[in-house]
Amino acid sequence: MRLFAAAAVVCGLLLPSSVVCAESDLSSTRVQLPNDFTPPQVFKNLNLLRNTNLEKGYVRETVDVVVENVDDKPQREYYLPFPADVFGKIGGLEVRDKKSPEKGRFDAEAIETDSSNDINYYVVQFPDALAPSSQITLRISYSVLSSLSPLPATIHQSEQQYLAYTFSAYALSAYPVDNQKTKLKLPSVNVPDYTTTTGLKSGQDPERQGSVYTYGPYETAKVAPGTQYPVTVRYEFTKPVLTAHLLERDIEVSHWGGNLATEERYWLRNNGSQLEKQFSRLEWTVSTYQGFPTSALRELTFPLKPGSVDPYFTDDIGNVSTSRFRPGKVPNRDGSLELRPRFPIFGGWNYSFRIGWNNDLSLFLRKAIGSSGTYILKVPFIEGPKNPEGIQYEKVVVRVILPEGARNVQWETINGATSNGLPSLSQIHSELNDHKTFMDTLGRTALTLTIENLSDEARSSELLISYDYTLWDGLRKPVTITAGLFTVFVALWFVGSLDVSIKKR
Amino acid sequence: MASPSLDVLLKGNSSRNVRGLLRIIILCTIAAAAVSSRLFSVIRFESIIHEFDPWFNFRATKYLVQHGFYKFWDWFDDRTWHPLGRVTGGTLYPGLMVTSGVIYHVLRFLTIPVDIRNICVLLAPGFSGLTALAMYLLTNEMSSSPSAGLLAAVFMGITPGYISRSVAGSYDNEAIAIFLLVFTFYLWIKAVKNGSIMWGTLAALFYGYMVSAWGGYVFITNLIPLHVFVLLCMGRYTSRVYISYTTWYALGTLASMQIPFVGFLPIRNSDHMSALGVFGLLQLVAFADFVRGFVPGKQFQKLLTAMILIVFGFALLGLVLLTVSGVIAPWSGRFYSLWDTGYAKVHIPIIASVSEHQPTAWPAFFFDLNFLIWLFPAGVYLCFRQLKDEHVFVVIYAVLSSYFAGVMVRLMLTLTPVVCVAAALAVSHILDTYLVASKPSEASETKPTADNNQSGLRSTRNPVVGVYSYLSKFFISAMMIVYLLLFVSHCTWVTSNAYSSPSVVLASRMPDGSQHIIDDYREAYYWLRQNTPANAKIMSWWDYGYQIGGMADRPTLVDNNTWNNTHIATVGKAMSSREEVSYPILRQHDVDYVLVVFGGLLGYSGDDINKFLWMVRIAEGIWPDEVKERDYFTARGEYRVDDEATPTMRNSLMYKMSYYNFNSLFGGGQAVDRVRGARLPAEGPQLTTVEEAFTSENWIIRIYKVKDLDNFGRDHSSAVAFDKGHKKKRATKKKGPRVLRTE
Amino acid sequence: MPRRNTPTPSSPSPASPAAPIAASSPSTSTTSPSAPLSSGPTTLKANSSPVEIAQHVWHQYLASTPQRTLLLDAFMFFLVLVGGVQFVYCVLAGNYPFNAFLSGFSAAVGQFVLTASLRMQTSAETKDSKPNSKGKNVKLVAAEEGETPISHERAFADYIFGSLILHFFCINFIN
Repeated sequence: MRLFAAAAVVCGLLLPSSVVCAESDLSSTRVQLPNDFTPPQVFKNLNLLRNTNLEKGYVRETVDVVVENVDDKPQREYYLPFPADVFGKIGGLEVRDKKSPEKGRFDAEAIETDSSNDINYYVVQFPDALAPSSQITLRISYSVLSSLSPLPATIHQSEQQYLAYTFSAYALSAYPVDNQKTKLKLPSVNVPDYTTTTGLKSGQDPERQGSVYTYGPYETAKVAPGTQYPVTVRYEFTKPVLTAHLLERDIEVSHWGGNLATEERYWLRNNGSQLEKQFSRLEWTVSTYQGFPTSALRELTFPLKPGSVDPYFTDDIGNVSTSRFRPGKVPNRDGSLELRPRFPIFGGWNYSFRIGWNNDLSLFLRKAIGSSGTYILKVPFIEGPKNPEGIQYEKVVVRVILPEGARNVQWETINGATSNGLPSLSQIHSELNDHKTFMDTLGRTALTLTIENLSDEARSSELLISYDYTLWDGLRKPVTITAGLFTVFVALWFVGSLDVSIKKR
Repeated sequence: MASPSLDVLLKGNSSRNVRGLLRIIILCTIAAAAVSSRLFSVIRFESIIHEFDPWFNFRATKYLVQHGFYKFWDWFDDRTWHPLGRVTGGTLYPGLMVTSGVIYHVLRFLTIPVDIRNICVLLAPGFSGLTALAMYLLTNEMSSSPSAGLLAAVFMGITPGYISRSVAGSYDNEAIAIFLLVFTFYLWIKAVKNGSIMWGTLAALFYGYMVSAWGGYVFITNLIPLHVFVLLCMGRYTSRVYISYTTWYALGTLASMQIPFVGFLPIRNSDHMSALGVFGLLQLVAFADFVRGFVPGKQFQKLLTAMILIVFGFALLGLVLLTVSGVIAPWSGRFYSLWDTGYAKVHIPIIASVSEHQPTAWPAFFFDLNFLIWLFPAGVYLCFRQLKDEHVFVVIYAVLSSYFAGVMVRLMLTLTPVVCVAAALAVSHILDTYLVASKPSEASETKPTADNNQSGLRSTRNPVVGVYSYLSKFFISAMMIVYLLLFVSHCTWVTSNAYSSPSVVLASRMPDGSQHIIDDYREAYYWLRQNTPANAKIMSWWDYGYQIGGMADRPTLVDNNTWNNTHIATVGKAMSSREEVSYPILRQHDVDYVLVVFGGLLGYSGDDINKFLWMVRIAEGIWPDEVKERDYFTARGEYRVDDEATPTMRNSLMYKMSYYNFNSLFGGGQAVDRVRGARLPAEGPQLTTVEEAFTSENWIIRIYKVKDLDNFGRDHSSAVAFDKGHKKKRATKKKGPRVLRTE
Repeated sequence: MPRRNTPTPSSPSPASPAAPIAASSPSTSTTSPSAPLSSGPTTLKANSSPVEIAQHVWHQYLASTPQRTLLLDAFMFFLVLVGGVQFVYCVLAGNYPFNAFLSGFSAAVGQFVLTASLRMQTSAETKDSKPNSKGKNVKLVAAEEGETPISHERAFADYIFGSLILHFFCINFIN
């Protein structure tokens, strides 16, 4: 099934417009704006509904907003403001037309402004300009990383952990908003503190319904855009707040071996509350035995693609013996790799490790239809662990190592009707370089994609790479090695047959 | 493998080429067997560096690979021996690291991505394969029978005495040193036989390499002069001896002085004086021999007498002067301990505390060498029968190394090669006599022993015709075969059971028979590496210094390079004293964490409480007034940890850290120390100046954090008492504030 | 006397005067000693003093040594001088750059022994028959390499090889 989908996308991929050429440098397209920039007031937000989801270790926000063009000319640039301290933590920003999500995402670019500015913007380009006084409903979704702070910052080993989240009751917008509402989804009903607003609306604010807290609706047509009303909730979250400050992911394609090797290197950290006193093994043994929830990371589960084999789990000082692998079945049952780190990872503790596995290449690589030497590779952009508390990546470096001699490398992420957790392509920095290994002569072509601020939402995203690879490229290595060995033998024979003896002749 | 080679053998029975080819194939098989029998630990566990010293070598190698050769040469390591640091580049034998560094760079040049760790792990097995080849060459020089060399190669390849130091992962100097030892001897024999400058130079080069690789080079430095000396005494002076020895000495000494750690030792240290003396003596003898050519016997004697008198007068005077003025260093302590096994125990506990410096137990000989040990005298006897120059060498080597092997466990390693040579000579002699005397069958003889395959033997044994009766031939050779087979199985058993444990990772059996890996060391070290500041100083007993440096990457106070006895004694004192005494020591040395090894929960016997007496002894050596070994024994002279333990013992920091909180693990019951089989006191020890920071899963490693000075300027015991009392009242109200023992 | 004890370690030592020398290999005729022992100036009395014997030896030596070997001997004598001067300097003026002294001194010593070895190998092949008679084992496969007397060219190549390595070490050691 997957292959058909791949083939379908391949056809789309071959259209020139959707292809990103890896050679071009994309990072220079950012727009520089003056310091005191304010967006032109050409839009009005009629209705704004913000869903903030705090069930994981990071913030996931979805904003549905009805936008009307109040200018007399068609407009296509919509500005999305963020406070400067949050701006650098925004990940996976995606803007779509809510009415027709299948049209794909709109392009959103970060705008560089002076660092002293306390509001920074993303600018969203509508594919079709919005005619005067017509409306469009945008669905803006993004995640905010590292913005949950443990409160209290230090707890005892077996105590519950609480996180605090501070945000503005008025959603930040560059344009006037007529109506707005914020829904807060919390992971538990144990919410010891939350801010009750006064004077923003009549009646109780927020309204509670289980673990859902609703701030608003507010009538904010008169409120100037950019007004903030800070609100804090503090809720129980006795789970690790997992952060990988770096994930390096190598995908190596070997045509000869028919193998797709994946290796991932994690630098993990638990951003939860730190231990008030030191770690006590005794208490930990007891609480493990009784199965209490804990803010420490006990175990990670990595779902692997069907057919994954030979997994390994090591760290800087060797193999970690506490892992379990349940292989999947090739059609559609995922394998699962369960890792137990060497020690439980409490708040403030680090753990770095690497895992890797192999796959059969034929499940991921196809030859493009109607071309002689063009191949299409479709692999998950990131995989990573799957757990209820989620995981956030501050920086992800995906390196796809193609066979030696691969040329004309182009890449694309699959952009379906639903969010794939990745930001738009302009936020991904790509680079092509050579990677020499295993007796290469030219070096393999390596495509390096760097992306900041990802969350485990991006697990579902997939990466498509097309490249040209001829038969000669495949033969190059055996021919080189043969030639090399032959040269050595000839040289040896030649030296051996020379009479260098200094005996009497 | 066996059947095709036999085919070739049968077809080309008369062909010399086939035999040569067969020999090469057999040698390759032997090398392969030698390598593969050392891979048990990699297969059973993983590719990991073993034990203690290899971790340092590994770390040094990584440094070399990262920073290049010159930086390595000038490496001052401030992450060990805090706060002193260590001039690492000048105090190590760089041969091992440079070897693997070169291999690494060659592989990199061929763009083969090999992890430096894997090179280090596999270096020892790789070199053991080379050792087997070198052994073949060496033994071939000794015997006219080609089977002797092959047998020796097999023995060397799989004898446990050598495997013990060269399994995969035991990345230690001995890994390459034994190869160099054997090969240097081979070149030396070759040089003596040929009297050629080239062989002498090569011997010197490999001797230089050996010096750069292992402190045991002194063995060569003394053995070769002794050989020459004995030859002179036997009246066997020839120009060949002169050429080979002088070339070897002049070049070898210069080569050895290139190593910073050795430096001027070859002309200063008494250990090297015998070589110099023989060098001088040889000049005289050569000159005398030269002069003899010109004068008739009578006058020559007179001349000789005059010459000898003058020269000896000068030499004696010079030696006395130099020794008095202190230019020539007296014999080193380790050297004395070679002659008097009790010496170290009395004078240098630090040397005696190393387990591999203990005298060898008798069963160890059989354990490590199996039937070679009783073939060994027979082989030496055979050497006596021929007694050419090279046989003299084997005899001397045998005598010296047997003595040394008896003194120190570690030197079993130098005994092994000569045992292999002698035993191979003996076995090949027996086989040559009792099997068909034609060459190919001998060549095939060693082959099946390597492959543990008996079917090949039967076929070669069938066409027996000779002067002896069929029965005795069959009987003797069958017996030999059985012994060889037993030897092979013994070696395999010993290797897999005794010598293949990394000792960093422990293995245990689950009730269902599956293997369970106990990985506490790495758990704790990795915790240190990940969750402490990069400059946190770790104090532990010196055994773990290299491991902490290698795995946890944190500065340590003392490590396995025991160059500073006082510093070690300081650590010993801190461990064995009361907290009030230890705390200032810890503060003075900026210690952030203290690491102890505790096996009481799991029954792991190599823990710190069992090593504790050494700490006490070493500390007592420096501070006899403050630390007394006697205080740690009960009145009846027992070393106990339970209720009857002496107060000194129970108040020592080590005891407290080991058993802290151990009681509560047993709920209400009485805690049991499984190593010492002791029931611990009902009330566990209280710690005031350090706090538990991490304890590994099976409690093997316990890490304590040294507390800062108290905020309110109280001493720690009262601060803890205050906190305790406060909490107790508020939270549980069960007992009153617990009274702390303050002593 | 002590000065003399170094220069010329022997090799020729033919016990019976001329016969073995005549048996030396023909192809290297230039260096093989041509003068037999009996051509020395005087014969010694049985009870002459050591000094007399020494003088006798000196004359014998001058008479019986071929030109090339004399050259080698002169070189060796020069090396002894160099080494001696360095040693005296070291004793008198102090050994401050000890490395430098040591490498210089050992270069002299090393070169000396190498030259002595070369002299032994080149000045008389006949002595190689002696060890043979003493019983070298006859190797099975490649016996020729060890048993044949070493040719002059081979000896000289060895000498060059040894010297190169010696001086490499010295230069490395001198700092």
